[in-house]
Amino acid sequence: MEHLLRRDVGAFEELYERHSRIVYSLVLRILRQGATAEEVVQDVFLQLWRNSAHYDVSRPFLPWLLTLARNRALDQLRLKGERQRRREEQTEEFPQIASAAPEYEQALDEKRRAERVRTLIGSLPSAQKKAIELAYFEGLSHSEIAASLKEPLGTVKSWIRNGLLRLKEGLQAIS
Amino acid sequence: MSTNDQFRELIEAYAIGSLDASERAAFEAHLAGGCDDCVKALEEARWTVSQLAYLAPNAEPSDMLKGRLMQTVRAEAASGAKSESPVRKTAVPWWLWAGVAALLIFSVLSARNEQRLRQAVADLQHQAQVQQAERERLEAELGEAKTQAHEAMIWSDPNSVKIMLRPKDPKMPQLEAMWHPELGLCVRGWKVPSPGDKRMLQLWLIPKAGGKPMPSMTFWPDATGTFTAMVENPPQAMSETQALAITEEPAGGSAQPTSTPMWVGRVS
Repeated sequence: MEHLLRRDVGAFEELYERHSRIVYSLVLRILRQGATAEEVVQDVFLQLWRNSAHYDVSRPFLPWLLTLARNRALDQLRLKGERQRRREEQTEEFPQIASAAPEYEQALDEKRRAERVRTLIGSLPSAQKKAIELAYFEGLSHSEIAASLKEPLGTVKSWIRNGLLRLKEGLQAIS
Repeated sequence: MSTNDQFRELIEAYAIGSLDASERAAFEAHLAGGCDDCVKALEEARWTVSQLAYLAPNAEPSDMLKGRLMQTVRAEAASGAKSESPVRKTAVPWWLWAGVAALLIFSVLSARNEQRLRQAVADLQHQAQVQQAERERLEAELGEAKTQAHEAMIWSDPNSVKIMLRPKDPKMPQLEAMWHPELGLCVRGWKVPSPGDKRMLQLWLIPKAGGKPMPSMTFWPDATGTFTAMVENPPQAMSETQALAITEEPAGGSAQPTSTPMWVGRVS
């Protein structure tokens, strides 16, 4: 990342090679259309290249990049699906993410962590897993998820909170 | 339950973005009040949420994407383009910069003024970022509007040919497509079940000549089973196409169909 700050094209290409697959997978999962997903991924990496000076190198890079990509993809999804509704959250050009990665992030390489995340979320009851996926990949609110799944609002809130806490604890447990 | 406990219960939902508006506003007010515990817990929750990206089925971006991206980056690097885009450079009105310059003159008079200057510059930068974000949002909206207008033209133009895609399974809904010889091809459907894990739907063009099916766009229905997909330049002409077919394929699509078509529609 420090090389990227110095406008090093080789460093940018290396970052793209290393992270484009997970970024594209995430954006494609949200947008469901290959061509639109590629446009968003291109925007994300160009933003990274053009605005790298604004990035705080003390922050963990990949979570930050994934948050940026998710925000962009959800913006695109909302534009397409419900143009009149404006995103009420403050626009985050460069998203906030933990100022330092939790200690357990260092304990797992990316592949193992990915497998662990899939196992932990996959072990949740299917409705709870669906609620988390609707929140993360569709950007739905508690109320929207409750309506979509025809479940009580309080249940949906508990599912999402407890699911994320379980994921956090599961990742901590193997550190 | 203390007030802090109540807000702590909102941290994970705030991090994933699922809080409804009133709860989100209350939580943000609490954060603005300077609750260090919540700020720290929120940072960690955001990291946890970012890990959900690994639930997305693995998919590979095309080589063309990398080609386009690297071409742009190399061109910008060669021309010595600045970090900030031209939009950002022009996004701030000249009089604001003039105001900052005037403030600079006064600031040298006292240390107090220096602090005011810093604040003014920070405000200015923030304003520039907000304007840049708004510009990008409007550009994205314009692009989306163009796409929707393009789709509307295909659906309404008298030269377009309507194609009904009938399901192999009678319990599945019928889909419809509209193909204009110059504007492109649109497909849409409702109440379409979501493909299985790590799977997606893919459109195929079946040639009249009897050759291999030509792969086209990939897509997913949304949570309600609705989808609209458009390809401006189908891989072969309508006159050469006998039928359209849709199969379920691994995420990222396939070069050749790996499953039996779920929908088929003859091109008349």
